[in-house]
Amino acid sequence: MNLRFLLREIAHSRGQAAVFVLCVALSLVSIVAVNSFRRDVRGVIAGDARSLHGGDIIIHSHSEFNPQLSAELADLGREKGVVAVDTREFYSVARKADGAASLFSNIKAVDNPYPLYGRVELRSGREFADVLRPGKAIVATALLERLGLAVGDPLLLGGATLEIVDVVSRESLRPVDFFNFGPRIFVSTADLAAMDLVGKGSRVSYETLLKLADQTRQEAIVARLTAKAVAGQEQVTTSAKASSRIKRFFDNLLFFLSLISIFTLLLAGIGMQSSLAALLRRKMKTFAIIRALGATGWFLLRHYLLLVLLLSALGCGLGILAGLLLKQSFAGLLVGLLPENIVLGASLRDVVEGMGLGLIVVSFFTFLPLSGIEHVKPAAIFRKDARPGLRRKSTRVLLVCGLLLLFGLVIRQLDDVRIGLYFMAGIFTLVGLIALLIGGLLKLLARCTIQTLSLRQAMRSLLRPGNASRAIVVTLASALAVLFAIYLLEENLRVTYIESYPADAPNLFCLDIQKDQQQGFLQLVGGQVELFPVVRARLHSINDRAINRETELQKRGDSLAREFSLTYRDTLLPDEVVTAGAGLFGSNDRPGGLPPVSLLDTVVEMGNFKIGDIVEFNIQGVPLRAEVTSIRSRTKSMLYPYFYFVFPEKYLQAAPQTFFAALKVAKGDLAQLENRIVNKYPNISPINVGETAAELGKLMEKLSVLVTFFASLAILAGGLILVSSILATRMARMEEAVHYKILGADTWFVLRVFFLENLLLALLSGGAAVLVAELGSWGLCHFLLDIRYDPIWSACLFLVASTAALVVVLGLLSSIPIIRKKPGRFLREQV
Amino acid sequence: MKTLFVLLFIIGFSFAGCKGDRQQEKPKSGEKGRIQTIVAVGDSLTAGLGLAEEEAYPALLEKKLQADGYPYRVVNAGVSAETSSGTLSRLEWILTLKPDIVILETGANDGLRGIDPQVAENNIREILKILKDRDVVVLLAGMKMVRNLGPPYVARFNALYLRLAEESGAVFMPFFLDGVAMQGELNQADGVHPNGAGYRKISENLYPYVLQAIKRTQGR
Repeated sequence: MNLRFLLREIAHSRGQAAVFVLCVALSLVSIVAVNSFRRDVRGVIAGDARSLHGGDIIIHSHSEFNPQLSAELADLGREKGVVAVDTREFYSVARKADGAASLFSNIKAVDNPYPLYGRVELRSGREFADVLRPGKAIVATALLERLGLAVGDPLLLGGATLEIVDVVSRESLRPVDFFNFGPRIFVSTADLAAMDLVGKGSRVSYETLLKLADQTRQEAIVARLTAKAVAGQEQVTTSAKASSRIKRFFDNLLFFLSLISIFTLLLAGIGMQSSLAALLRRKMKTFAIIRALGATGWFLLRHYLLLVLLLSALGCGLGILAGLLLKQSFAGLLVGLLPENIVLGASLRDVVEGMGLGLIVVSFFTFLPLSGIEHVKPAAIFRKDARPGLRRKSTRVLLVCGLLLLFGLVIRQLDDVRIGLYFMAGIFTLVGLIALLIGGLLKLLARCTIQTLSLRQAMRSLLRPGNASRAIVVTLASALAVLFAIYLLEENLRVTYIESYPADAPNLFCLDIQKDQQQGFLQLVGGQVELFPVVRARLHSINDRAINRETELQKRGDSLAREFSLTYRDTLLPDEVVTAGAGLFGSNDRPGGLPPVSLLDTVVEMGNFKIGDIVEFNIQGVPLRAEVTSIRSRTKSMLYPYFYFVFPEKYLQAAPQTFFAALKVAKGDLAQLENRIVNKYPNISPINVGETAAELGKLMEKLSVLVTFFASLAILAGGLILVSSILATRMARMEEAVHYKILGADTWFVLRVFFLENLLLALLSGGAAVLVAELGSWGLCHFLLDIRYDPIWSACLFLVASTAALVVVLGLLSSIPIIRKKPGRFLREQV
Repeated sequence: MKTLFVLLFIIGFSFAGCKGDRQQEKPKSGEKGRIQTIVAVGDSLTAGLGLAEEEAYPALLEKKLQADGYPYRVVNAGVSAETSSGTLSRLEWILTLKPDIVILETGANDGLRGIDPQVAENNIREILKILKDRDVVVLLAGMKMVRNLGPPYVARFNALYLRLAEESGAVFMPFFLDGVAMQGELNQADGVHPNGAGYRKISENLYPYVLQAIKRTQGR
């Protein structure tokens, strides 16, 4: 082993070596960071699920547990490592001590050590468990505001008089219960007897929450309890299985982060491959000379293997260092999202696992360039472009092994064999598509007749035989396509999940507004509030085929056999689009024709409806036949009302209906407005969703920052590919520049040719990338994530323009030393 | 949201004639010569939330009436989550069905949302008046509010049905969920809405009162 040779080789190719090291580091940092973060987030989600549902295992019933189940729970409670807490939740009327005012409220009676998970934060900052004692009550702010009470005042609940001792400022369990008819009151279970509200004839949610020291016991305990529970009445579930919209969101987010991490890894791999290939291409003549001097192929290979190993080790070191630094930034990034006691960032396991994965990727992506070294012939001194091929059987076998290894890695990272296979198939399709597209475009370009000399030369150098431009464009376009796709996916996820909670989202829902109360209600709330009419009906038949209620009711999700809320209006809501049909009601709303009805895409999927189908409703005893004239789709903004069936006003105007209103009210005015509404119209139920919406909104914003952060790692990897691609063609460019100069061209001409060549390259790559990214992102959004897709063409145009600017600037910057090269000196060096 | 009506105690039949009503003679075939209409007006307990419409009490009642030779159709005009205010505002729509008899079961959602019982009382009183003016025989189904709303509220709520029945002279079933409320095996998992067996029990309980109402139509 000749160490001096090795050191000289590294010193001589500093640029490519640096890019290679950076790529290794980036692949390692991103995967360590993403995996570590994924573990953290999974922990957080598990923690959040526990916080949201209150325990590891939840036993729920609307009546007292049967004696066997109660006995089993009592036995469990005595076991080591199991903590149990009972809760009783119900609605009741809370009254002021003087009886002057009362308020329908949600009572939750709990025992110490409630809450087992999550927190109930109090305005005083004290610990919940220290404050809630028998005889005391902790209430929501809304209760104080609406009853005109203060901390320290007495509150009547049933037969008990309790002292209000504190105010709930945040409750981690609450977001799951979106609709609540009244403000929360926490009481001690010891006071239930004095209240005399819970007993036979009461409507109460009975819940027992279990916290397990050993999580592996979960399934066994659930099985034990389920065996004792009355099927259909007593439910035993775990917080992980208890479904919620939030969990679905996290599932999507985690999948997305995994995709980004794999993309980043692959991009960094491509960067490694192209920077190493650039380095080796530059050395090809040197290798041939060394071979001519008597060195064996193995001599070269083992020195370069060691060189790659040294650089990889350096990259790994850097990667681990950066990973540790990232760990620190996570804490800042995740403030408020993660529980304070969680240990963040890269553990030893993350680092070891990341190093292993990183090395697999290094081996895979450096294998092809390295495999060519051994076979460099001395004759290569006189030949150009002696490129390593895939002709040898052993190379092909090794390549297949490498691919299989990569498959395994992807599947492991995505945690799903099926999706892992889809992903790999997707990547190959992506590269294949781009290669085809670029091949076609390059052929088209070759046929063009161009008058301008500089542009012609730019084109020729792009198309010259033996040039790697096709490979570079395909690599660059694939990387860009992935980056664009990440951007498009991120934007679409953001729009779907974050903008569903905009700052002006409604915070007060009002139900059951009667027809003759519309004007009065509008005056009372004093604003341009839209009232949504709600007409209850059942779907009777589709194209005269009666709805099979038995089959429908067996469906797991929504069913066509249930009662639906119909509405009427003549326009689309702001978040709706017509996806089929000419306008909402087309031309079907004509005299003598059937009434037209517009369907939401969600219900279309349930019943395989088509435009022109005849549907018959039973509106509280009165039949109504209608023809489907359009299908609508909507962005799933959870806080806005939506309706499956929309009719023109005239057909439902006379039908029995109530109205629903969604209002945005200043926080300070909420309680007063609720009081005013209820005082004037006691039948209207105002539901305050402001706190829940704000809480969810904050959570989503934080997650958006995280996604952007991880996407930026992938973008950095893309940048490195660009630099390494330019470095890879450095030698060829230098030769061209020298030849132009010999033929009499000035520096500006050479610059112009390089500029145009880079521009062509960027536009080709960018254009192909945008097309493929749009296609891929649409597919992912539509088929996998099930969210609405917006192509955001303007942003794509911007991305192509910035790519072009970046490629041109980087290309020109790296061309400066090439242009400065004196032709005579260069030729002397080459001969 | 779910409509929740729960009954607390089994109240004995307050109408001495009930037993006798059960033994009411069968109608003569083809009596009156036309199919008459009973409209079941109410909330989710009438609509049959969570079940097929055929399993809810109106369909069962119709089947039983027709089997016994009564030429009646029973229209299910139940609306889940409806309060008495909603029932009042859709009364005109119900009247387009030209009912001979209305079975009125409403008010539970008012109670379960803590709405002042006076609101339900005023609404039901108005409904009864309109139906009486239109010469419709009414069977008023009474409700009992859940105990957790507290004795003052429960007492006010529970008293309103009997008072209204006496005022209006409507046929009165004191408790719609008699023998069904709080019976796990007769209710769905939510503990509030009856299952198929629960509705069979309800239609059995209701039947004598329906016959009483039919008798009144015959006496018009």
